Amino acid sequence: MKLLHLISWQYTRKHGLRTVLTMVGIVLGVAVFVGMHTANQSVLVAFHKTVNRIAGATELQITAGEPGFAEEILEKVQSIPEVRVAVPVIEASINPKLKTPGNILVLAVDMTGDSSLRDYDLDDGGEAVIDDPLIFLAQPDSLMVTREFAKANGLAINSKVSMETMQGPKTFTVRGIMKSGGLTSAFGGNLAVMDVYAAQKVFGRGRRFDRIDLALQEGIGVDVGRKKLEQILGPGFQVETPAARGKQFESLSSVYGMMANLTSLFALFIGMFIIYNSFAIAVTQRRKEIGILRALGATQGQIQTLFLIESAILGLFGSVAGVALGVLIARGMARGLGDFLGEIYGVAQRADELSTDTRLLAFSLALGVLTSLIAAWIPARSAARVDPVQALQKGRYQQLTTGENRVRAVAAVVFAALAIGLAMVGGGPFFFYGGYLSAVVAALMVTPWAAVWLSWMLRPLLRLIRPVEGALAVDSLIQSPRRTSGTVAALMLSLALVISLGGLTRASYDSLNQWMSVGLNPDLFLSPSQSISDRSYHFPAEIVDQVKAIDGVRTAQGVRTVRVNYRNEPIMIVTADVAAISGEAKLPATAGLHEDMYPKAAAGEGVILSDNLANLQKLKLGEMMELESPNGPLRLPIVGIVLDYSDQKGTVLIDRKVYMEKWKDDTYNVIRIYLKPGADVVTVRQALLERFSSGLKVFVFTNKDIRDYVVKITDQWFGLTYIQLAVAVLVAVLGIVNTLTVSITDRRRELGVLQAVGALRNQIRQTVWLEAIAIGLVGLALGLGLGAIALYYSLEFTARDFAGMRLEYKYPWAMAAFLLPVILGSALLAAIGPAESAVRGSLVEALEYE
Amino acid sequence: MNRVLLVVSSAACLFGMDLRGADARQIVEESQKRQQSQSQRYEGVLEVTQATGKKSSKRWTYERNGAFGESKSLLRFVAPAEVKGVALLIVNHPDRASDQWMWTPELARDRRIALQDRSTRFFGTDFSFEDLEERDLNQNDYTLLGEEAMEGKPCWKIESKPKQTKSSQYAKVVTWIRQDIYVAVKMEMYAKNELVRRLEYRKIEKMQNIWTPLELEMADLKKKSKTILKTEKLEYNTTLKPDRFTLDALRRGE
Repeated sequence: MKLLHLISWQYTRKHGLRTVLTMVGIVLGVAVFVGMHTANQSVLVAFHKTVNRIAGATELQITAGEPGFAEEILEKVQSIPEVRVAVPVIEASINPKLKTPGNILVLAVDMTGDSSLRDYDLDDGGEAVIDDPLIFLAQPDSLMVTREFAKANGLAINSKVSMETMQGPKTFTVRGIMKSGGLTSAFGGNLAVMDVYAAQKVFGRGRRFDRIDLALQEGIGVDVGRKKLEQILGPGFQVETPAARGKQFESLSSVYGMMANLTSLFALFIGMFIIYNSFAIAVTQRRKEIGILRALGATQGQIQTLFLIESAILGLFGSVAGVALGVLIARGMARGLGDFLGEIYGVAQRADELSTDTRLLAFSLALGVLTSLIAAWIPARSAARVDPVQALQKGRYQQLTTGENRVRAVAAVVFAALAIGLAMVGGGPFFFYGGYLSAVVAALMVTPWAAVWLSWMLRPLLRLIRPVEGALAVDSLIQSPRRTSGTVAALMLSLALVISLGGLTRASYDSLNQWMSVGLNPDLFLSPSQSISDRSYHFPAEIVDQVKAIDGVRTAQGVRTVRVNYRNEPIMIVTADVAAISGEAKLPATAGLHEDMYPKAAAGEGVILSDNLANLQKLKLGEMMELESPNGPLRLPIVGIVLDYSDQKGTVLIDRKVYMEKWKDDTYNVIRIYLKPGADVVTVRQALLERFSSGLKVFVFTNKDIRDYVVKITDQWFGLTYIQLAVAVLVAVLGIVNTLTVSITDRRRELGVLQAVGALRNQIRQTVWLEAIAIGLVGLALGLGLGAIALYYSLEFTARDFAGMRLEYKYPWAMAAFLLPVILGSALLAAIGPAESAVRGSLVEALEYE
Repeated sequence: MNRVLLVVSSAACLFGMDLRGADARQIVEESQKRQQSQSQRYEGVLEVTQATGKKSSKRWTYERNGAFGESKSLLRFVAPAEVKGVALLIVNHPDRASDQWMWTPELARDRRIALQDRSTRFFGTDFSFEDLEERDLNQNDYTLLGEEAMEGKPCWKIESKPKQTKSSQYAKVVTWIRQDIYVAVKMEMYAKNELVRRLEYRKIEKMQNIWTPLELEMADLKKKSKTILKTEKLEYNTTLKPDRFTLDALRRGE
């Protein structure tokens, strides 16, 4: 402690700015980690809370994927002796366009029996929560809302609320106001309860329910009850506790969680290099102190511990600040994530309260400290090995020894060979990720040597710009690779990340555009919801013929998309008249032939998978696919695999006849409309709106609307990527600031001498600027090179473990070109402060330095 | 017999026969026999008074076809306008719980009232769906607790408990039966050991030779609310078409 106070504290105080800049890497890494995970956690907790609050006394819930199931199942369940009470449920998320922004969750239940499971009247023996239960049941426009929702929107008993229904906008009447607590706090209080049979009409569900909530007889264990129900209902139904229902939602948001991990790990990784760099410099600068300490009897262990404690403290402060910043940004992220999940998966969830997990915060602190410790390990070890005699001599210590260079070169060759070898072997995740890691390590090992070599290459160019300043700047880099290599490595990693993500983004947009031009070719789309991904409302079967009868319509195809469980993953079934669909759009096949797969699928003799589903589930052409349905398993061979980017979890195309037979669901949620040649899109769109204006709720989208929507969703998705890019570039730029600050401090005497022999302030200034530009150029060259490798691994990772989508490798040259001015500009900006400090310091002090 | 029958005839036909000194079961059996009729029709007014004092009122018509134990009943609301046409079809069985369906004309569809829902309140009144059922007296055990005068009239005090094979929300029901005319005048329903509901029969008159209470008051002692059912235009053994008591007829709104 004494050493820490006498030595470390004094040094830190003297180099306050650098300490802060070094810490920023950790701050950002931890902040992004805490922010994204807290946001994810908050949305998950909100979902679980909603599920639990809505569940009430429910012990088990029966579902059969998104299509739901026929009403008859309810009687079957109610007749099981082990079941005490079983009630039907329909859930939908709608936007009633009231003062409270966003959607409300409509919980539709059978009020005659539901009070056995859910407590609507929360004051014992008090006034009934529904003004008149018989009127509530008799009138399909009855709604019960929470007290909070009523208050926020100025609603009272008998107030009117307008809601979209399958029969167009309808006015609903508030016939009950639930008192606060329990159920009413689900979905942030934005909850409305209505009669389940009325909901069937409102949402076009036919005679189907989404779910059955049930409680078991006294003395019957949940496991016993579940097994009995599973045995009676068959594998097409999922019988789960309410808590287990969250798993599907978790699965949907897991992609986001993975993204959060990647972003923060990259930020921390880059931060690690900045810390490494700072400590390596600190060790060099403090050689004299170390020498004195060693001469006074300090052991190697004590010196090493001193530096490690310093780094741990730095890591701790950085982590604490990171945690605080992370919690601050989490709220906004949670809101964004809630909207994002709603848009992409149609699963609405609001996270109005932030859920901070103390374990996550503790882990983040530990992660920050550990990162800092790892980063400082090598500098601390070199500090411990300092020879006291040499240390007390003046001189330059920024060069790398020949021995160090040799070791690094050998390591670089070994890791590069390993990376190539593992990439060629391919196969399991060990080889893949091992290969990726080896490639990165090889690049890091080669960085100091490559930085010096590139600096030599740059020397003529910079001399051309400014003969003296250019040479001085480059020489500073060449002579001090230890000082620069950490920053260059950080910049290289950041830029490699930018290039790989940029390439991935471009490949995704290109692939999406190709897919849209083939698969999304109808002129118009008819949807019962304002959002094409929302599946709360369904069209009746007869709508296709009604659409076909409209003047100007050449043909119309009804499509039903439903999410079902396949090997515990929520995949998407796309069902339509395959013969009709394939007549208009055939998606590019990656396995199987068009002329074979579509007729077979149309005849109900096979299914066509999306490429990403096949990749994620390791399914191959010709294999048998088995999907559980409420009416027994559906076993069909895979007759084709096509490029389809409709869903991140993958799609399976099944002919409508097969689907209806197994799921007993004849509804649609989108109608694809092709117009006759010469027909005007605007006129037909208007005709459609007029045709259904009085009887059915419809939204008509043009082809452009849908394409814009897909691009918007993709933009939203890549919005997360842009956060990654911003963090990566920011941390790297901070690295440049740090390095230059150190460089200036390190060369104070040298710069002082230059000024003393007549160098102008502007020349000193320009030397620092050019040094920054040189670092930027070297980092750019290495980063763009490593980016090419990283892009390969990103595309592979996307195909293997992320979304299963195989995207084409295209180096993002435009992005690389864009990065050139950005990084050079940032480097210049980063150099302004250090350059000014270099010219404004006292000349006498500078000459006395060291 | 633990069942409290909402319909007037049911209340009357619970008990009968001059069986002073006989055992409780015999009293109940004879009571049923005396109150039997082949059909019944009346118009009823339901008045619900909530704990806060707020009142609501509804009118219905009630028809029953068939004798006790195997009867079919149809209850159709006629006022207020919001509930007009809402109907409940009850098909009673001698050996098991009745089947019940509700019809809501605005939705144009019927829904089955599940057996498990029978303990819930009947559309916001203080009666439960279970209270509307007719059930076989063999499904209960009866004990004569003694004699007690009610409003100056000597009564038997009989306790009925459901047999193990039968499910009921009530652990026991205590009934007071007038010894002179063999009609129940009061019932107290217990859930576990707690008194939860009290039913009082009033305005007992002889209608077509059957002693019939024309007013019933059911009090929910937990919610502190009460429901009064008044009957008008009561007729026994009237001609009713059997096909009126089917699910199809319910759907047609007949």
